[in-house]
Amino acid sequence: MEKKYWQSIEETQAHFKPQAEEKEASMIEILANEANEKAASRRDFLKWCGISFFSATVISACENPVKKAIPYLHQPETITPGKASWYASSFVDGNRFCSVLVKNRDGRPIKIEGNDLCNFTGGGTNAITQASVLSLYDDGARYKYPTKDGEKISWEKADKAILKALKEAADKGKKCYLLTPTLMSRSTTTIIESLKTRYPALEFVSWDAVGYYAIREAHLHTFQTAAIPDYRFDKADLIVSFSADFLATWLAPVSFAHRYATTRRLSEEKKTMSRHIHFEASMSVTGSNADERIPVKPSAELEIIMELYNEMAALTGNPVFSSPATHYDTKALAQEILDSKAKALIVCGHDNLKAQILINAINHMAESYGNTLDNRKTLNMGHGNKEAMEQMIEAMENGNAELVMFYKSNPLYNHPEAAKIKAAMANVPVTVSFATAKDETAKACTYILPDNHYLESWGEVMPVWGTHALMQPVMQPIFNTRQFQSSLLAWMEEDTDYHKHIMNYSERVLFPRQNQFPDFQQFWMHTLQAGILENDEVLSFNANLQSGVTSDAIAQLKAQTAQASQLQFSVMEDVKAADGSYANNPWLQELPDPITKISWDNFAAISPRFAEENNLKDGDRITINGLEVPMIIQPGQAYESISLALGYGREHAGKSADKVGVNAFALLNTNPFPWNVESWEKNGSGYEFARSQTHHSMEGRHIVRESNLDKYKENPKAGNEIRDYHLKHMVTLYPEQKFEGHHWVLMVDLNACNGCSTCVIACQAENNTPVVGKQEVKNRRIMHWMRIDRYYTGEAENPGVVFQPLMCQHCDNAPCENVCPVAATNHSHEGINQMAYNRCVGTKYCINNCPYKVRRFNWFRYAMNDKFDFNMNSELGRMVLNPDVTVRERGVVEKCSFCIQRIQDGKLKAKNERRKLKDGDITPACAGACPSQALVFGDLNDPDSRVAQLIKDPRNYHLLEELHTLPTVGYMTKIRNRKG
Amino acid sequence: MKKSHQKTQKSREKRSVFSPVFVSGIMAVIIFLSLSSFLASDNEQPATDTIEPEMAEVEVDTLPLMEEEPSEEDAVVETPAENDFVRGEYTQQQIRRGERLFNGLAPFQSGMHDCASCHYTSAQQEINWNPAAWELAVVWEQDPDYSIMDIMNNPVSMRLMEDHAGMTITAEEQHLLEAYYTKLSEEGPARLQAYPVRSAIFWGMGFLMLLAVVDLIFTRKIPFKAVHFVILFVGIAVHGQFAMAEAQNLGRTQNYAPDQPIKFSHLIHAGENEIDCQYCHFTANYSLSANIPSNNVCMNCHNVVRSGTLSGAFEINKIHKAAETGQPIEWIRVHKLPDHSFFSHAQHVNAGKQDCANCHGQVETMHIIKQVEDLSMGWCLTCHRESNVDFLDNPYFEIYERLHDKIRNGEIDGVTAAELGGEDCMSCHY
Repeated sequence: MEKKYWQSIEETQAHFKPQAEEKEASMIEILANEANEKAASRRDFLKWCGISFFSATVISACENPVKKAIPYLHQPETITPGKASWYASSFVDGNRFCSVLVKNRDGRPIKIEGNDLCNFTGGGTNAITQASVLSLYDDGARYKYPTKDGEKISWEKADKAILKALKEAADKGKKCYLLTPTLMSRSTTTIIESLKTRYPALEFVSWDAVGYYAIREAHLHTFQTAAIPDYRFDKADLIVSFSADFLATWLAPVSFAHRYATTRRLSEEKKTMSRHIHFEASMSVTGSNADERIPVKPSAELEIIMELYNEMAALTGNPVFSSPATHYDTKALAQEILDSKAKALIVCGHDNLKAQILINAINHMAESYGNTLDNRKTLNMGHGNKEAMEQMIEAMENGNAELVMFYKSNPLYNHPEAAKIKAAMANVPVTVSFATAKDETAKACTYILPDNHYLESWGEVMPVWGTHALMQPVMQPIFNTRQFQSSLLAWMEEDTDYHKHIMNYSERVLFPRQNQFPDFQQFWMHTLQAGILENDEVLSFNANLQSGVTSDAIAQLKAQTAQASQLQFSVMEDVKAADGSYANNPWLQELPDPITKISWDNFAAISPRFAEENNLKDGDRITINGLEVPMIIQPGQAYESISLALGYGREHAGKSADKVGVNAFALLNTNPFPWNVESWEKNGSGYEFARSQTHHSMEGRHIVRESNLDKYKENPKAGNEIRDYHLKHMVTLYPEQKFEGHHWVLMVDLNACNGCSTCVIACQAENNTPVVGKQEVKNRRIMHWMRIDRYYTGEAENPGVVFQPLMCQHCDNAPCENVCPVAATNHSHEGINQMAYNRCVGTKYCINNCPYKVRRFNWFRYAMNDKFDFNMNSELGRMVLNPDVTVRERGVVEKCSFCIQRIQDGKLKAKNERRKLKDGDITPACAGACPSQALVFGDLNDPDSRVAQLIKDPRNYHLLEELHTLPTVGYMTKIRNRKG
Repeated sequence: MKKSHQKTQKSREKRSVFSPVFVSGIMAVIIFLSLSSFLASDNEQPATDTIEPEMAEVEVDTLPLMEEEPSEEDAVVETPAENDFVRGEYTQQQIRRGERLFNGLAPFQSGMHDCASCHYTSAQQEINWNPAAWELAVVWEQDPDYSIMDIMNNPVSMRLMEDHAGMTITAEEQHLLEAYYTKLSEEGPARLQAYPVRSAIFWGMGFLMLLAVVDLIFTRKIPFKAVHFVILFVGIAVHGQFAMAEAQNLGRTQNYAPDQPIKFSHLIHAGENEIDCQYCHFTANYSLSANIPSNNVCMNCHNVVRSGTLSGAFEINKIHKAAETGQPIEWIRVHKLPDHSFFSHAQHVNAGKQDCANCHGQVETMHIIKQVEDLSMGWCLTCHRESNVDFLDNPYFEIYERLHDKIRNGEIDGVTAAELGGEDCMSCHY
């Protein structure tokens, strides 16, 4: 496909104005409508004002409430009231892993940070990890005690019943099944193995709703070892991805985003960056960051893989097989891969064995193994085995299963044959779920033996060979729950203390492989404190390609694609709900999708051309293969493809998840080509999405400045030339402001930012930002202190996408400050645009005068209000609130404070330690959470600080600097690596 | 959880107001403030509090004063046998008789004086080291083996032997006292009532002003109009002053000195025994909170020190009891900033080198801890403007080069917190 390349932003405006004109009610209309809905008049309003004044006065004058100060009986050594303690732990859920630090304040975990000591994740996090702390306090959805058929029972009774089933199954000649997702924990699998030895009828089935087993199996075929190599994006000069959304969802996105960013960062010293070519049907986060993005439907993508294989084979002198011709110039791509000389990395996101075999062969020809693909320290992920799952379902249907146990698996929701499994469950006498919180499968089980939340659990995992991560509880279990592993140990009729088990395991397996500590206790405490241990354990394979496998793969893949229909769908995980496990997290639900900026929904995305041909528009309801779903027109969507996000449409997950969106797992059942759209029709329109950004163009202003690598190499100011013009015209009559002491600055590298939105959740968690719900998001009242603006440039069929994290710019000449009638917002000595909530009277003048639109108004009282029935409306849900930040009341304006509580804390620490503040002592929530380290915060007055260096970089510019607002947030131009 | 709850409640005080409403609101506030000044003077502090000495006076005993002689019922009651006095069975009449006995309105057989002169039944301004009547009742109620007769007739501790020397009671008297204890423990701590000086002035002035207006317009008894105007002028001034004072003190609790669950005396601990503040409040140096000491800190000393010179063992026993039952002592919080101000003890004690007494007053002279300062924002800011930071000795401040130059040149001799951003809103409010 021919791509239109553009030099400046204005150029693109003439071509492309996407759905900016959609009909949206103005604020006045919304207010007027609301006013009409109520019968209250202005008089009533005055009356109520009078009454509230009266009562407030009388109540506050009469009596001050007695406040009690109740100390500990025995103050634990590790808890200091008013001071946070930090614990290293690990966020683990199936294939998802993140090494984390948990901030614990007064005995309750309130914030998750990345663990810098972990080389695998690089100290980053993602949105799901950041939000996971909220699930701990989800008292609406969490199971609070063991139940049988919904009735509370004791653990002993439950254990007895399950032991009976385990023991009797063998006598009856039946099987018992334990279904888990990928288990990266070897200490857990050893327990399961010994349980299997004890109860021979027990079968252990590993199954992932969104699996990577094809990669593992493909390596078995091609290299005779079932393994997934580690993808070293940091070592790659050329990245070719086929639908692998590795920056946001695929395999280990935190690690991959971190590694990818290191190759994308530019400076005076390093003027090289990787080149990223991306093939996909839907617009994904990763695709939107690609230098070349080729929108193709799934069948065409597979055809390109086949052709690319053939071209590579031709160039390297390997056998060539017949494959369908494509429209893409694969020859040039093959040449480019070979030219990059063992620095290319080709990844494929399809869970399709044949395609993965070909990808392995391509990588082999590109000499990626041992270079960009680590075949020694391989990933310990993707163990989910679909076939074993099929066998289990069959056994259940045939009545051969006596007992089925579901651990972190919810096949009744996210298995394509959910209905079949549900029916089969009736044939199983005993079904057990270990679900932590409500899910569809647990609902259908006889026994629910709730597992601890991961923040209440002990654990040990090995996400990649040679990297061991520990998980430790940061609080006592809130409810009467028991850790899954402890349950298994109980059925071994052993000591149920999993903590001891892990310690034994460490002493046996990890301790002998190190020589730093002579004493195990010392070793254990040190490892627990670090959360991570790296040693020399490997699972390696020799990259000697088996002959014959590729010819079969191509032949079968060709047969498969030949059956593809004209119109195809593609489903993918998004950054929020993943496989549906996180759907009941209101923070995640309200997080705008990085691309479409839609929250509280999923949708079918179609291409503009297809929409035009079929007369479809945003908000139309279409039915695909029997599934009705509202649709949007997505620029960049492949023609004749329909994309849907997984993880929505939960039936029994909790109040934030139920009936939000549709369940796309149901679509996955279509044969013979898995993505065929067999039927589709339009059957309705007018669906309203909650969208936080509806205007997609920069309207000719230099909001995001970008350039190409070749131009950047010639002139580092490329794309940022206009800055000189603005600086020349920046004259003022007023004396220049000087900031003594500190002058806080945040630098955002648009080249490193991939739009994943982790920072938005981190900010929400840190700053007690309320969740407002779908309707209020529609009303443009989302409260996030920072948002990520996404703009499209270029042609609608395949636009360029840019992301821009936008928070308060802390202008040194702030327009908001001088319009406040009560001086509630003003400038601090350290260049921070401060906001005093208790002084604010809510005129909203500041909001109107802010050119960046980063101020938020509390239209309602969001805490303890039944109309906003999210985490702040429950006693337990409010536990997550950060006690260092005020919960804002109705009628006041709020905005980003540069995490002033952290600045104050960092300064105080330096003062108390009698030392100068060091660069990096203070990190706002957004910068700390970013897996790509795209945000850098620091003191401009410190000449050695990173920000002082970055602000001098020719790529630096300030947003709307022509307005002379003098923002202290700087952006670094986005540089792409396009050819020609 | 509790914290956030309070936080939202506090910040609710600030509301957005549209201007016409604002004016009417202000008027409403003024009217009701003057009204509330009356209410406030009566009910300023909650149930377990005492009140400023000058405006409070102890409530006169509420008992129906026992007239000349015992009433007829008393006369006809015959002295029952000793084993008739079953603990837990009391009649209304016995409760009333016990009350009289306790308060000295009926004589003890041994001729001892009343109980209430040491074990107060009403709240007091000054600290009374003897257990209050209701506390005795609670102790008795919680311990089924507790016997008043044992305590009185065969005291074991030195303190009790001295204080109760020569005092004995009979089984019947014990039964009556027990009866009264049931009533006392039900009532709980006695409550102070204020003598409404300020209310009297407020209403008196109001009445005078009303008279003046009535006379000015209708009755016209006083020939000199100057009298009316002087009364009105003074009256409005007095009411205005009341409204001002009360409005300023909204939510402030200067001089708040509630009775604590243990008669803990800072005078004895910090004053006489010279225990360092940070021995008990040990987190003040490095945490936001100065920490109410946990029970185990008390036990460090009171494991050995089982009896006090003033209070005997009664108060110290409460610590041991907490350790035994696992129920921590529920202290009443005295110093409390609103939740929207973030105060760090570490900042002031460690970095700022402030003396505890600067904010908390001379606690080593207080038996009952009292809030000395009003803890208002103005008070905070005054200190920020006046007190110098540890500028030259702390390397942290090296970044302020211009100020260092000034000091070197002798232009200034110190740097205040305000000069370093101590007046910024977000120093305290975020």
